[in-house]
Amino acid sequence: MKRKSWIQKQGWIGYVFILPNMLGILAFFILPALFSFGMMFTNYQFANPNWKFTGLDNMTRMFGDDQFYKSIKYTVIFLLSVPISLALAFLVALVLNRSVYLKGLLRGMFFLPYISSGVAVAFVWMLLFQPSQGPINEVLRFIGIVSPPGWFADSGSAMYAIDVVQIWFMLGYNMIIYLAALQEISTEQLEAARIDGAGGATITWRIVWPLVSPTTFMLLITGLIMTVKSFSLIQAITGGGPSGSTTILSLFVYKTAFSYYEMGYASTISWFLFAVILVITIIQWVGQKRWVHY
Amino acid sequence: MIETNKNLSFKLSVTILMLIAGLFMIVPFLWMLSTSFQTPSEVFRQWFPSKLDWSSHKRIWTGSYNFLPYYINSLKIAVIGTAGAVFMSALAAYGFARTEFKGRDTLFMVYLSMMMIPPQVVFVPKFIMFNWLHIYNTHWALILPAMFSIFGVFMLRQFFLSIPKEITESAFLDGAGHFRIFFRLVLPLAKPALATFAIIDFSWQWNDYENALVFLQSPKLYTIPLGLQNFVLENNVDYNGMMAASSAAIIPMILIFLLGQKYIIQGVSSSAVKG
Repeated sequence: MKRKSWIQKQGWIGYVFILPNMLGILAFFILPALFSFGMMFTNYQFANPNWKFTGLDNMTRMFGDDQFYKSIKYTVIFLLSVPISLALAFLVALVLNRSVYLKGLLRGMFFLPYISSGVAVAFVWMLLFQPSQGPINEVLRFIGIVSPPGWFADSGSAMYAIDVVQIWFMLGYNMIIYLAALQEISTEQLEAARIDGAGGATITWRIVWPLVSPTTFMLLITGLIMTVKSFSLIQAITGGGPSGSTTILSLFVYKTAFSYYEMGYASTISWFLFAVILVITIIQWVGQKRWVHY
Repeated sequence: MIETNKNLSFKLSVTILMLIAGLFMIVPFLWMLSTSFQTPSEVFRQWFPSKLDWSSHKRIWTGSYNFLPYYINSLKIAVIGTAGAVFMSALAAYGFARTEFKGRDTLFMVYLSMMMIPPQVVFVPKFIMFNWLHIYNTHWALILPAMFSIFGVFMLRQFFLSIPKEITESAFLDGAGHFRIFFRLVLPLAKPALATFAIIDFSWQWNDYENALVFLQSPKLYTIPLGLQNFVLENNVDYNGMMAASSAAIIPMILIFLLGQKYIIQGVSSSAVKG
């Protein structure tokens, strides 16, 4: 009773703790977001004072824009990297969790790409994938592939080469989380199955995989959201090319805003990107209850 | 006895297989280092340099293209930004975890929902706003927003909630105020969590390319990612220089990882499994 009255008396102090942060969030997230929402209905271009409200024109334009549909297609190809990296990470984590020496060293080797993200890594991969002399194609020629793909230089293969880099980058992060999940599984449960005569593959597929399904689901959702937002890697390696073949949705927004200065239109596309994230998040809320075995 | 031997050789062969797989993961780094020590005529022709050629490394630090200013810029932004983010996030996290006020939980939901807004949505308004505030094309355009981390509030709040309530409550009864409890009790207890968040946040800011791309224009303000990009645009056949510059950008992160591995891995796994 006494404690409660004390808290009531001090009720304002909570605001003092939150206030500095809240002002920042308001200034750099909430207000800009509202501002951007409004810009969606204008033809605003940077440094052009003659702008006006154009209603839903930007949306009509977007749904009739060829480049928009192409960017969705490239985004989907980009997102393929998420499940592939999850599957590989699960396998690596399974092995690292048992029957292996030098666990710490191996964990570090797989995790290293994640911490060293950035433009620097992009340029290394650019040279590795260099079509005429790069080491990857040298190896491919050595094993008998006469005309290996042009990778980043070829609009047919560029997006898939980006996927390779993205999988390489995300693998270690997913592996660390899987390792943490695998360590929670009780050994008794696995022993019981082994005594019942289940083999290694059966145990993995019928017991371990369902037990880590909450982790898989969480990694899938956060991975999709993170990947759909990111564009640094692509901007650094290809800048969206060759001939627009790696201009995913998030990069399309960036280019519309800062290469063509069509900021009203860019806002519209960015809110479509938000809608995609919203849908993924709703799937998460619904799916958590339905599809995940606990 | 035969069984254990069999297990042992199985374990050994799995280890070797995984080492080969792990080698594939770090081959890009090894290739980068190797190329940075090669001469131009050796690039793409051989895996290892015939002898260590330091001229590319010297060139990027002393030549017409000098990375030192980029380094200082990056360091300045990441250090101030991270320090600000740790303090601001801890303060707000304490407010959400250990004080009670009207609308607290609603406000926290607003915070969480802001995580759904992609950076692309706010780039344009921030660009206009920063122009208007005259901080566009200054380091403040990167530092100020970096100080307010929703992820940081979320992560530190989780940690503060795990501190037993009895500890803070008994301090109340001894007459300590919230600020005293925050600075004297909670912050020291939260050192590992603060370190984890600081390392993760620092690495984000060190590697940040998107914000620098949008908000910086003058080459003298460039951070490492932008400096690197500029270098590649201007010297796109100087492969040795490119790889020397890339090494210079990556090696600090690798060192931080090696030193703070425990914190990083704990932080990554705990924040994700609970979140």
